Amino acid sequence: MAYSDKVLDHYTNPRNVGTMDKNANEVGTGLVGAPECGDVMKLQIRINAETKVIEDAKFKTFGCGSAIASSSLATEWVKGKTVDEALAIKNTDIVKELSLPPVKIHCSVLAEDAIRAAISDWKKKNS
Amino acid sequence: MSEKSTGVVNSGLKPEAKKGSDSALQVMNGEHHPHQCWSCGDMRAEHFCGACGHVQPAEPTDFFSFFGLPRKLELDEAALERGFYALSRKLHPDVYSRASAKEQAWSLEKTSQLNDAYRTLKDPISRTEYLLMLEGIQLDEQSKKATEKARASGAEKKQSVPPELLEEAFELNMMLEEAKMGGVDKDLRAQLTATREDLTARLNTMQDELRGAWKRWDSGDSGATARMVDVLNRRSYLCNLVRDIDEVLS
Repeated sequence: MAYSDKVLDHYTNPRNVGTMDKNANEVGTGLVGAPECGDVMKLQIRINAETKVIEDAKFKTFGCGSAIASSSLATEWVKGKTVDEALAIKNTDIVKELSLPPVKIHCSVLAEDAIRAAISDWKKKNS
Repeated sequence: MSEKSTGVVNSGLKPEAKKGSDSALQVMNGEHHPHQCWSCGDMRAEHFCGACGHVQPAEPTDFFSFFGLPRKLELDEAALERGFYALSRKLHPDVYSRASAKEQAWSLEKTSQLNDAYRTLKDPISRTEYLLMLEGIQLDEQSKKATEKARASGAEKKQSVPPELLEEAFELNMMLEEAKMGGVDKDLRAQLTATREDLTARLNTMQDELRGAWKRWDSGDSGATARMVDVLNRRSYLCNLVRDIDEVLS
């Protein structure tokens, strides 16, 4: 199966790879997995407590090209968005943007899960 | 003439199919759905007609039914293997070289079904996954639905495996990535070998857990599928880690 150009681009040149201090109050961490393939994805966001804007995002994914591309794209998309805007990102948006085939839809689900998990971690810390 | 000749060829095999003492053939004829033979009209036809021995039309069927097995998970793998070889011989293209075109086509199609069915059922894990699929349990579909539900309700989606397992998989992957770049010294090799042993032991335990769930399913407890899903989910992470460790150690 051939990867789309956008997947290849994110895969060979992933954006925002890295980690943040998961104990920091302004950082939310989402660690999620896809049992279908055993992929694991960690996505972290730094949120401005005043504006609720996601100022930075980092990810580290162990998995296939589509999983890496999905999380790379997710970090690009959430940066600059408010928490509520980020929560509106759907896995189907990622599927469309990356032209993922049906067998790789779970990679996009994983990325959406990671965004939600990171935000919910941040909310828990700051409630 | 050609149809008559296949009758002769196949009837030579007929007595074998009737031997009830061979468990391999019980596998072939266990839970059957007899139908009318297209050739002689006998009502007891399965893969072959019990009366005239002609091969019967290939029809779409699930793999358990193909072997005449109930939809159960504990099965006699040796009997399944014997059934596979017995059917392979009976369906072999050479047997049908002088048969009618339709019988040649059926035997070919049945051979292909036979190979798929055997490959799927002989392996405990693929057998379990196949049964879950037949029961309408699609893991990725479930996960997608749960995400959609979380999006709609704002509630947190529960991951399908414990967070500690995800942490463990993530940390070990980080370590393996460093090892790939920085090389593996003696200490790291010892550590990875020990981790591999631990993972293998846990995989063996999961095999037992899975067998426990099989027993429940086979005795009619349909709730056992949730347990199987749980074991298979956790198992896939550990299998990947063992594979990745092996890659680094080799």
